[in-house]
Amino acid sequence: MSKLKYIIISLTIIAILAAIGVEYAITKKFTDTAKEQPLYAVRALDLIKEFQKNDGIANIKYAEKIISVTGVVTETEAAGTMVNVKLGDTVSGSYTIFAFQQKNLTEARNIKVGDTVAIKGSCSAGVYSEILETEFITFKRCTLNK
Amino acid sequence: MKQKMKRTVFVLAFVCVGALVFAQKKITTSATINFDATTNLNAMAKAENKTVVAAIELRSGGIAFEAVMKSFSFSNPMMQDYFNGDSWLETDKFQTSTFKGKIINLAAINFVKDGTYPAEVAGDLTIHGITKQLATAGSVIINGKAIAINATFTIKLEDYGIKGKAIEVGKVAKEPKITVEAEFK
Repeated sequence: MSKLKYIIISLTIIAILAAIGVEYAITKKFTDTAKEQPLYAVRALDLIKEFQKNDGIANIKYAEKIISVTGVVTETEAAGTMVNVKLGDTVSGSYTIFAFQQKNLTEARNIKVGDTVAIKGSCSAGVYSEILETEFITFKRCTLNK
Repeated sequence: MKQKMKRTVFVLAFVCVGALVFAQKKITTSATINFDATTNLNAMAKAENKTVVAAIELRSGGIAFEAVMKSFSFSNPMMQDYFNGDSWLETDKFQTSTFKGKIINLAAINFVKDGTYPAEVAGDLTIHGITKQLATAGSVIINGKAIAINATFTIKLEDYGIKGKAIEVGKVAKEPKITVEAEFK
């Protein structure tokens, strides 16, 4: 095989692999959270305290990571066709809020105020709300941690 | 005399109930914002944020929204990283987007009568640390004690300092559609 042929075949293979890689990256979807292992398992009130103490440090630790949070449901709220679940601190008003995956809508609807639950989800961030004047920590792609 | 007193009591009660209704500030922590920057080249450039804090002040028509940017959920991990990244919305630095404004045609909305009312809303929209005035049409839906508001509008990404190759080559819309919905109970 001539050197030119070898170069052409190599470049073609590289181009095909690159195209497959790009196609994979742009069509890939997030893994079902139910199949993910949580990096941290925490109690809701402890997590809230950690964010209240220093949300800059807490965001570096938790943001965009899968976390399992345990606590008592203080509120459920309709969010369009979905249901959000809140595990809050009734003293300070701060709360964690969990937006469930579409596929977990039924389990979200069955959660009631007062239930003790463990919810697994991707921690988005914790910030101080100017509207509520309290800290809140949001989660997305959530499911019950069974 | 007795009838006059009855009328006075009735008027006072009506005024008190009215004052209570209009003095109320209603809040939800589960408003939703849909971000749709899809193009013919990219159907994945869309996301939803379901944990937006929103408030409405019935007396003044004041409206406020506060969205954590990292709460926008994409189906594609690469799009989400790109959205949050340093070349786009820099969400580590600019953690929230906010809207502070009011309903301009407040007199046309009867908060104690069921119905769907067209609403004109104007205020300041802050994204990526840049504040611009926004005026848009929306709706206020009254259903018993529940009040729902919604609006759909577009923004120019370059107005908010958001640029990049994906936008230039048409993989992300230059003027994405934003849909906002909030239900207050």
